[in-house]
Amino acid sequence: MKVPASKLSRRNFLLAVGAGGVATAAAVANKAPQAQSKKAEAVGKGYQLTEHVRKYYDTTKV
Amino acid sequence: MARMKFLADAERCIECNGCVTACKQEHEIPWGVNRRRVVTLNDGTPGEKSISVACMHCSDAPCMAVCPVDVFYKTSEGIVLHDKDLCIGCGYCFYACPFGAPQFPQDGAFGLRGKMDKCTFCAGGPEPDFSDAEFKKYGRNRIAEGKLPACAEMCSTKALLGGDGDVIADIYRRRVTTRGKGSEVWGWGTAYGRPEKPPAQPGAKS
Repeated sequence: MKVPASKLSRRNFLLAVGAGGVATAAAVANKAPQAQSKKAEAVGKGYQLTEHVRKYYDTTKV
Repeated sequence: MARMKFLADAERCIECNGCVTACKQEHEIPWGVNRRRVVTLNDGTPGEKSISVACMHCSDAPCMAVCPVDVFYKTSEGIVLHDKDLCIGCGYCFYACPFGAPQFPQDGAFGLRGKMDKCTFCAGGPEPDFSDAEFKKYGRNRIAEGKLPACAEMCSTKALLGGDGDVIADIYRRRVTTRGKGSEVWGWGTAYGRPEKPPAQPGAKS
């Protein structure tokens, strides 16, 4: 039996949507811990030797 | 515990006023108030030197000693901060400060002094960190953001050093060793030196 071309393209479309959704979810999941760690670095009270501060000290040694 | 300090390297300062601009922009400071300024010594003569001046957050801060309403307090890192809600604008701190750091907005009637404003080492004030009230009264709290003062970070020649006193003193020591001159740090002794001992009273037991 010959499968109509339109049906195939619809299947491909649905497959693509599914794969795209999974990829988006993975990207969000990967991003979340980064955002959290940035916030955790920012809310600390007082002076902290952060990466930002370390970079500043390095620039002064030039 | 780190002790926060400023260090002005006169051999490197090119009088660009980048520190002044960075401070004004970062904290949205009104006209007429300068928390930081650049002073040039022997201006116009060969060998002139420039230094960036603001509150040095002294070890034995004279402003704290003279304030009649006790608005000043010191953080565990040695940053001298003040509570604008308590300030009465008497100006005693301005007369006591060896660096001319305290500033007074003069937009009131009859030359009335407003609440004192000064460098906070970008550490805000007594209000909660990152609150609107804190920003409005004291400016941005970069220390709580895990950063250092905007003036020091913005300095193009890194003449103005700010941060952990031990670290910046070590950086400066290396610079002096490398270039073989300019070991005098302007204002360092006044701000962070040991206070002079009072003269011994005659007949007093030592």
